[in-house]
Amino acid sequence: MDFESLPSRRDLLDLAMRAAALSGAAEFFAGWLKAAQDHHGAGEHAAPPEPPFLRDYQPKFFEPDDFEALQAFTEILIPTDDTPGAREAHCAHYIDFVLQASGQVPKTQRAWRNAMRALKSVGFHAADAKGREALVEAMSQPERDSSARHPGYFAYRLIKAQNTFAFYSSRAGMIETLDYKGDTYNATFPACNHPEHQVV
Amino acid sequence: MAKSYDAIVVGSGACGGWAAMQLSKAGMKVLMLEAGSSVDPAKDFHHTLLYQMEYRGKGKPGFLRRYSGSEQNYRIMIDNQENPYTTSPDTVYHWGRSRCLGGRSLHWARASDRMAEYEFKAASRDGYGMDWAVNYADMSPYYDRVERFIGVSGAAEGFPQFPDGAFLPVMPLNCAEAIFTAACKSLGWPTTHRRLAQLTRMHNNRPPCHYCGNCVNGCDVGAMFSTVSSTLPVAMRTGNLDVRTDSVVARVRMDSENRARGVTYIERYTMKSVDVDAKFVVLAASTLENTRLMLLSARGGLANSSNTLGHYMMDQVGGGGVSGFLPKLKGGPSRLDDGKSAGVTVPNMVNFDKKTARKDFIRGYVMNATGGQSEYPRFASALPGYGSAWKKEIKSRYVAQARVWIAGGEMLARKENFVELDPEVKDHWGIPVLNIHFTHCDNDRKLLAHFQQTAEEWFRKAGGETMQGMGRSGPVGFPGAPGSPDADTNRTTADSGPSRGAAREGEPRAKSKEHPLAGSIHEVGTARMSANPKHGVLNSFCRTHDIANLYVFGGNAFPSTGDKHPTLTMLALTARGCDQLLEQAKGGSA
Repeated sequence: MDFESLPSRRDLLDLAMRAAALSGAAEFFAGWLKAAQDHHGAGEHAAPPEPPFLRDYQPKFFEPDDFEALQAFTEILIPTDDTPGAREAHCAHYIDFVLQASGQVPKTQRAWRNAMRALKSVGFHAADAKGREALVEAMSQPERDSSARHPGYFAYRLIKAQNTFAFYSSRAGMIETLDYKGDTYNATFPACNHPEHQVV
Repeated sequence: MAKSYDAIVVGSGACGGWAAMQLSKAGMKVLMLEAGSSVDPAKDFHHTLLYQMEYRGKGKPGFLRRYSGSEQNYRIMIDNQENPYTTSPDTVYHWGRSRCLGGRSLHWARASDRMAEYEFKAASRDGYGMDWAVNYADMSPYYDRVERFIGVSGAAEGFPQFPDGAFLPVMPLNCAEAIFTAACKSLGWPTTHRRLAQLTRMHNNRPPCHYCGNCVNGCDVGAMFSTVSSTLPVAMRTGNLDVRTDSVVARVRMDSENRARGVTYIERYTMKSVDVDAKFVVLAASTLENTRLMLLSARGGLANSSNTLGHYMMDQVGGGGVSGFLPKLKGGPSRLDDGKSAGVTVPNMVNFDKKTARKDFIRGYVMNATGGQSEYPRFASALPGYGSAWKKEIKSRYVAQARVWIAGGEMLARKENFVELDPEVKDHWGIPVLNIHFTHCDNDRKLLAHFQQTAEEWFRKAGGETMQGMGRSGPVGFPGAPGSPDADTNRTTADSGPSRGAAREGEPRAKSKEHPLAGSIHEVGTARMSANPKHGVLNSFCRTHDIANLYVFGGNAFPSTGDKHPTLTMLALTARGCDQLLEQAKGGSA
């Protein structure tokens, strides 16, 4: 945790005094103080909780076997390790949620149906855990080797793009993994005071 | 009997808000008409993290086709279906607009730089175009007045091409900005903190910035200057201002003595047409909307004896830039890097005096840089690989993101860039829309190419490295600074990540390979000021040459774009024009 970015107790008292002088701003400052104090007290996970809707979400766009395959794929791409992964972020659920709402953009829905067909045809659905990992490895080859080809590459790219978005825009990705610090009330901005950054 | 006003102000953006404040404070009875809805920052603006929204900032797929902006801020942008415009076939231009109380002042980039004498007198120096009808000495007291009211954080540097102002303390530099500053020093280039209308201490009963970085979605406390946080409260306290929102002005009405009598507006929801009268009419509905109203108000356009109304449209040159990472920062701790959406600035280094004169192009540009963590790692999807190692690499690079962009590049004024009324297309209220003709010239392209070269040199000196697949303008996004090219569209795949608003500068709007030049949402011109009434629509006080009680505030008066962001100059012109209007009223000559 980077304590440099947090307001000191003195900063907070200073703000409280200013609040008293500001008509109409007292409510704001009260929120500011509370947020800043919460941040102090709760460590790095003081950001607001994620809305619960994905926790109980039932897939509507994907067939059950496709959804199971997608879940497995997203968890290979962004595994749970010392930080949360696609599973904790409910990435597959989120992808389904966006796609079921994409009626106005049938092109997107078609692309995903095609991707899942491609996944099935390369054997991902039927493969065991090790086989699935090997398939993802093979499908991703063209990303690093422009001469490589794989019939499932477009499916890999499509799932990777949406999975990356689903993960890093989730609380698990944004706060618990990347430790994003913005969009909060702060009394000060942390100035760079690193000597090595003052020269090139 | 309908109430008659001393002045009607059409529009509530930065200039409309200022005019309403200055005129009502002077005792005038003022009516402000705003086409969009009312806004209450305390209720309407929130800190909302992406994961708190169902669609994570992108809106329901298909929904944001209708709006500019993102899921966070589309309500303070514009409904494109209700407010269409058309373009000529060769035009590559996106007209960034807002319709709501406060207009674009609610989500502007806040950059507040004074224009210098060399910009006001550019034509005298290089022979192209027309000088302004004012000079720096005319404008300086008004820059002072505006800066003291709105509050601008910045550092006085003494650069002749970047005049100093009445500054509040600067916002500290983050690590990436410190490195970019060190690179400038090593190159022998001038550099300073970005000058922003964003408070670093209590100022005029407004609280200081709380460094959330959420500026372009509307500031909940008014730490950034906007009409609703700054000018409107002062104006309302006078008791002399009436505000009518949801009132779409359709035309200026004239009397038989060639004076503006008032305006006709249409109630947004009832479609009822209403006439209101006043001694003075002030158009402050944004540059192109002002011109549209003048075109709508008389055959051939109102106050158009010079035949220049609609012509010489400009927008500062945008596009290009460099994005990547600063290796020195890789793997470092997470910090509040994007909490101020500021950055460092390199003032113009070309064509401002004999020593810096170039043979290959005229005029100049300003550069900005920033870096560090952002709400969403836009580069992530482009980084090859997957799995735990990939996640660790994302985290390592996340805090090392870096970017150089063009803050403002001068676009040359050309008569063939113009707006006119579309003969067929009308808006939701049956009012003809604008048809925009807008292209760039060779000088614009050469200027951008020179910027690109210089930006890359700066980035290299800072030790920056780029990543394949990110592109020049890259997927890095910072609030208040350029987002991604598709930031306000409704992409249904996620390569680009979410947007934190549409207040972007210098970002390509079209296919970047075909059209590397872009606009900056700094449109100006179309009713330029001139000392001689034959050469322009407005005089040096932004009053029309032809109609004694019609003032036009915004970017309309600009005979050239200069290389600074335009809003501070628009506000200074408004303050100066309002002084003149009040003098005129005192003399009873409305």
